[in-house]
Amino acid sequence: MRANPLLYKEFRQRMRARRTPLVVAGYFVSMAALTFFLLYENVQGQLVLVLPARSEQVFLLMSLLQMTVVAFLTPAFAAGAISGERERRTLVVLLTTPLSPFGILVGKVLSSSALLALLLVVSLPLYSLVFLFGGAVPQEVLAVFGFQLLNIVLIAALSVLWSTIALRSGWSTVLSYATVGFMVIFSGVVGYGLRLLAQSPMEFFALRWSNDLLALNPLWMEASLAGVVSVTRHAWVLFLGFYAALVAVLAVPAVFRLRPQLWRLLPGDERNYQ
Amino acid sequence: MIQTQNLVKRYGREFAVNQLNLTVRQGTVFGIVGENGAGKTTTLSMLATLTVPTSGQAFIAGYEVTHQPHEVRRAIGYMPDSFGVYDELTVMEYLRFYADCYGVDRGTAERRAKELLEWVDLGAKQHSYVNALSRGMQQRLEIARCLMHDPEVLILDEPSSGLDPRSRLEMRAVLQRLRSLGKTILISSHILHELGSIADEIGIMRGGELSAIASVNVMLAHSDAFRTLWISGTGPREAWERAFADDPHVLNVVEKRPAVEVLYAGTVEQQAQLMKSLMDRGVVLYQFAERPTDIEELFLRLTDQGEEAD
Repeated sequence: MRANPLLYKEFRQRMRARRTPLVVAGYFVSMAALTFFLLYENVQGQLVLVLPARSEQVFLLMSLLQMTVVAFLTPAFAAGAISGERERRTLVVLLTTPLSPFGILVGKVLSSSALLALLLVVSLPLYSLVFLFGGAVPQEVLAVFGFQLLNIVLIAALSVLWSTIALRSGWSTVLSYATVGFMVIFSGVVGYGLRLLAQSPMEFFALRWSNDLLALNPLWMEASLAGVVSVTRHAWVLFLGFYAALVAVLAVPAVFRLRPQLWRLLPGDERNYQ
Repeated sequence: MIQTQNLVKRYGREFAVNQLNLTVRQGTVFGIVGENGAGKTTTLSMLATLTVPTSGQAFIAGYEVTHQPHEVRRAIGYMPDSFGVYDELTVMEYLRFYADCYGVDRGTAERRAKELLEWVDLGAKQHSYVNALSRGMQQRLEIARCLMHDPEVLILDEPSSGLDPRSRLEMRAVLQRLRSLGKTILISSHILHELGSIADEIGIMRGGELSAIASVNVMLAHSDAFRTLWISGTGPREAWERAFADDPHVLNVVEKRPAVEVLYAGTVEQQAQLMKSLMDRGVVLYQFAERPTDIEELFLRLTDQGEEAD
């Protein structure tokens, strides 16, 4: 924490915010209601309570829903990280401290991810219920949680970078949600559509595009961890490589924004930035 | 301690700062005065490593601002003209956060924060939330924040802007106390009078250029050459106008009923001549008083001269 004072300060601020307990409690209650509903539907009219195949569906549904919710919640906490500081006129002082741009960005990404990670943690007891009914093995649960955490950090990083590049929180929010929209909706819908098209012999070329697009979809990749769909190693390389490259590409102008000594190499008027 | 050499900042074709040469000696207070848009904030922003000069060089504590920004940031405490505070942090946490940013150890930060809060009269507010403080208190807290890492140089951009008269007086008291710390201070204001009691030297900026630099003592000495006369009486309007027009030492006349205020650049003897001239023209004088010209009027006089030269 001492290595990154911004992270410590952000934790303190975010956890003191009035909306934090509301978000955590609201999320837990919603997820609990959904889990009990699904489990109830699962065993209703059945003679036995433990139905692994059906519980596996509950696990998959919960995991995909959780991934979708956190994917769309993360920009709400991260898209104003830097632009919000600029709008509140606190960035100008922060930039005159010896904090490095990397330290500022990392502090913002990790603090934005922290609340979302807390949402994952509070939902763990619900997963244990599914686990009790034989819906998943521990390795699957851990893999899914690890992947969700990775996606939270990834989306938080992309949102913080957009927030640094864009001058206004409104714009950074639009850009962050457009990115999440591409990740979750566009790649899934178009990828799956191409897969259906590829079933026709005339349209076999679509299969490659379908595989590549679905490899960029976190829901699809998560489903593969739950053993519902199968993906190749190439798909994992593509997922990790594509998003790592996107973060690296956005990090360049973001660091330029925070390090004014490099601004003169960028077009535009830096007078408006701080 | 602070030195600029032909410093230029240009936005497109517009010069925000043009060929600025400035030297602030160690342990002295230099005030920059100028109207809005004169280039004060841009100058301070370049010195605080926030804006990159188009050309020229600036040194702070021996470090060049463009090529050694990290060292410069450690050497300065910067207070911008417009700033925000972090909500949901107490005053103590706020100061500790900035101490952490500069790597000040926890014990020293704690002790220094308490001392500085007492020093800016916020000792009783250390556990209050920052956003619960008044604007004036937040401005004083910013002064304490600037001092948390014990910098050699303070750069204060209009520290009293936006304050009510009482808060302005409190801030002035804090700024006067700052002098006793022996820091090198560069402070800007659009109110010359405010800097008169704080600064050792004052520079006047106009259109991105430093049009005049003088020590406050010298400026005040010059101000003796300008007198403000307060004249009340009765008589034909033409008589008043004629008397003022005929006296080359009358620089400006402002009607402030029931009197007129005259800015006068003459000696006491010439002043007596003006009084006689009025009476000769049939004006019955009730009052003919002189009050000292303050530093503000001298500033206006200097900028007017600049405009006339343009």
